[in-house]
Amino acid sequence: MWFAVTLFCVVTISFFMMRSVRGGPFDGERTLDPAIERNIEARYHLDWPLPKQYFQYVGPFNLDEHRAEIFGGDGSKVFGGVTMLEFGPSFKYKDFTVDQIISQSLPISALLGMVAMMWALALGVSAGIASALKRGSRLDLAMRLAATGGIALPNFVIAGFLIIFFVFMIPLLPVAGWGSVKYMLLPGFALGAPYAAYIARLTRTGMLEVLSQDHIRTAHAKGLAPKTVIMRHALKGGLLPVVSYLGPAIAGVLTGSLVIEKIFKIPGLGTHFINSALNRDYTLAMGVTILFTVLIYSMNTIVDLAYTMLDPRIDLEEM
Amino acid sequence: MAKNEPGHWQLGSGNMEKILSEVAAHKGESLWQDAWRRLRRNKAAFYSLIFLILFAVTSFIAPLLPIASPMALTLQEEPQPPSWPWDGTQLETQPGSQATSSLGAVLNNGWRHRSTITFNTEGDNLDTVATELSDMIEEVTGRTTAINRVASKGDKPAQLFFGIPNEADDTPRTDWEKTGNEGKVTFFGTSAGGWLVLDLPVDEALFNSWSTVVDKRKGNFYLVPIEGNQAGLRYEFDLPHPFEGGVKGITFNGRNLPADGKLADLSVAAEASDDAVDVAPLTWDSPEEDAAGEAAPVAPKGPIASLAEAPLESPTIHLLVQLGETKNVLLDGFDLRDDTTVISQGDSRDKVLFFRANTTAKEFQGTFHQDLKRQLDSALASLSLADGATATLIEVESENGYDWDMNGISHLMINVRGKVFGLWQTGNWMGTDSKGRDIFSRIIWGSRTSLMVAFWATLTSLLIGVTYGAFSGYKGGKVDNAMMRFVDILYSLPFIFVVIFLITLTNEYKTELDEFGLDREVIFYLVIGAIYWLTMARVVRGQVLSLKNAEFIEAARVLGASTKRILFVHLVPNVLSIVIVYLTLTIPAVMLFEAFLSFLGMGIEPPKVSWGTLAVDGTEAINPLKIFWWLVFFPAMAMGSTLLALNILGDGLRDALDPKLRGKD
Repeated sequence: MWFAVTLFCVVTISFFMMRSVRGGPFDGERTLDPAIERNIEARYHLDWPLPKQYFQYVGPFNLDEHRAEIFGGDGSKVFGGVTMLEFGPSFKYKDFTVDQIISQSLPISALLGMVAMMWALALGVSAGIASALKRGSRLDLAMRLAATGGIALPNFVIAGFLIIFFVFMIPLLPVAGWGSVKYMLLPGFALGAPYAAYIARLTRTGMLEVLSQDHIRTAHAKGLAPKTVIMRHALKGGLLPVVSYLGPAIAGVLTGSLVIEKIFKIPGLGTHFINSALNRDYTLAMGVTILFTVLIYSMNTIVDLAYTMLDPRIDLEEM
Repeated sequence: MAKNEPGHWQLGSGNMEKILSEVAAHKGESLWQDAWRRLRRNKAAFYSLIFLILFAVTSFIAPLLPIASPMALTLQEEPQPPSWPWDGTQLETQPGSQATSSLGAVLNNGWRHRSTITFNTEGDNLDTVATELSDMIEEVTGRTTAINRVASKGDKPAQLFFGIPNEADDTPRTDWEKTGNEGKVTFFGTSAGGWLVLDLPVDEALFNSWSTVVDKRKGNFYLVPIEGNQAGLRYEFDLPHPFEGGVKGITFNGRNLPADGKLADLSVAAEASDDAVDVAPLTWDSPEEDAAGEAAPVAPKGPIASLAEAPLESPTIHLLVQLGETKNVLLDGFDLRDDTTVISQGDSRDKVLFFRANTTAKEFQGTFHQDLKRQLDSALASLSLADGATATLIEVESENGYDWDMNGISHLMINVRGKVFGLWQTGNWMGTDSKGRDIFSRIIWGSRTSLMVAFWATLTSLLIGVTYGAFSGYKGGKVDNAMMRFVDILYSLPFIFVVIFLITLTNEYKTELDEFGLDREVIFYLVIGAIYWLTMARVVRGQVLSLKNAEFIEAARVLGASTKRILFVHLVPNVLSIVIVYLTLTIPAVMLFEAFLSFLGMGIEPPKVSWGTLAVDGTEAINPLKIFWWLVFFPAMAMGSTLLALNILGDGLRDALDPKLRGKD
């Protein structure tokens, strides 16, 4: 329910905000012939009054009385609007619909985000557990310092250092582009680094708290191996804060990829968003915004569900 | 604290005694005293606090520090590669880097330290209009002008820009005898290029103050074109100091111009100009003062500037010699006295533009810009331009060497710097960037921006977050539910997009915002702050929820206090400790966000500098040919250490203010 409300708000607000800004998608260096301009506007329905444009965009009814196709083709397919999961034609990339652009770039961004999250989880959790077990040691201190440093540095600076070290000084990896696994390592690392740091901190504190609890003492007392105690008993409770952080982390990885995609020249979603906002590519910008909203919202929901599964004391209805 | 080995979580009797004695010693302390004691005991947090205070002080007194200018002071023909001063191969001193004293450019008659006056003009002969207007401006302000640009686009009226120095002191001194050869030489050249070399005796102070010096050893001073347009390149440099010896000679396009009292055989196109001022030998009579021109073939006493006929290929050169109260500036027999200014003026762009010797320097008094605009307006009203041309005064705006707001205390600090350090400044200790700017000074000046971001954005988030959270928590029930639902919705918005959108919006409406007196940067800060209030609101709400049924609130309510009063007098002070903790954690987040936006090209605009733009410059300079590591390393270190300190301090504060939360995230 709230999902629908949120989505409605996003669509409406961003639609009207975007249209209210001066300057259209077809403003160029040279001024167009008025007739041509009219034709272009008619093609994209920009000559309609705003509410009509809005309803056409949302759908699912086609308000175009000529039943005209607005993105080419043989007329067999009619624009259905956002409710039919059609985001319309891109204003800038003339031969593409927004759906096509998203379906091309979303897998790339998703893959990158997954690499980053996996790496952040693996490193963060193991570092957190290690420093919680060796509390107060040098290892703990070093890890805490590294974690705070990782939080303190912006990821594009980390990316800069990575490029200098692993591309130019020790030529191991390609500097930019997208393709095989080789291309994913540096961007994934740079994107995941701040989250790895944060997860390490969360794991450490979570583990410390759990380790001092009675049931762990009991487990130790009944003679379980330390490894079993940690893996079976402590980890489940200790990772709760991490799980609740995953929602914001995934949102952060998604938006953070704007920068990383720019540095490493990855043809993902982030690039499209920035360009579309600057180019006034209304439909593309709307499409990407809606997509991100859906992603973030569903991630938050999944995280909430996972939370209740891990900790039965929490009731979702109460949240 | 307990360790996880069995037996370690029990307190020994010794521990208990220690705790009890501490309790006795600090009984009756207020929350803040207690927190301060705890914070001081936490070494890392305490040192972080000291570091941050030092950082704030440094960035505040940045104008006072003798560091190089963070701006590019000269626009060079070719950008220089970034340089690193410690690798032995010292680059030849280049304009705009080591040789540039930012102070010299700011305080002295620096060309950047000026105001720009803009006119809209219509008329056939714009050059004539320009001359007339410049005469008028000089009349009003008592300063010499330089025409920067004549631009006309489409059917819009042409715009004329005039530059005048800001400081009354910048106008040439009138007491010629006292100051020696002080003056200003402006050189209008053509696009033919070439160096204008003045052979001058080497004088350290002069050298350092010269914004255009290249080669120290030979004592040659290369003039670098500071801006070029269709009319040709304009060469300009200042003689801010009295110097001994005088000008020895001028070379142009590699040719030595005679130094035997004739400064230059720059032929002013004989065929040029309907004003029919032909070849114009200029003699520059210096006063009856014996200057020690040891090796100089020419003592400054003699005429040192003259224009004789010469077979220059592109003979459109112009010299503007602006002196103190020289009595005699001779130009082809013209005897210029007093306030005679314009001598000749050609009508064609690639021919002679101006030839001018300014001989008066009126002291200008009054609050500068408003006053000036008014005076100029009234002068313009009484001025009738030739050929029925019209001119409208558009604006008078200031510009200085830092391109920075230099009012009030900063300006005072700049002046103090001049008194204390003179023209001395630090070297490029952290190297220079690809425009020859000093990294060290850019980091320090950038910290001012970062500090501003931190301050404004945090303040905004504080105001919105605390008010919203406190109100929601206090009201409770349906109101609370609705308000928190709203926050939830906002949480799931992709906020970065909203911000990007808002920023493109402010860019679009920049001029309108200016009319309301809203600075784009302030809006930028506020926008950042406006999205960081969500967490604050949640935290405050939680605290208020737990407090609102406390007895003292009940008491206040029973006594009939209004909601507003209960909120801000009773509740907010009690959530202050947790608010402070979140504040110290918001600041690094906000600074990171600024860097993030700068990276996307939506942050601070050049020539201003922030740590975000520095980091971006560094990352952009990464290339496979040569690693300019200092461009990445130092800004990253500055940013990293500050944010690290802020994080540590935030953790320390949380431990100190709220011991229950110790060690939690």
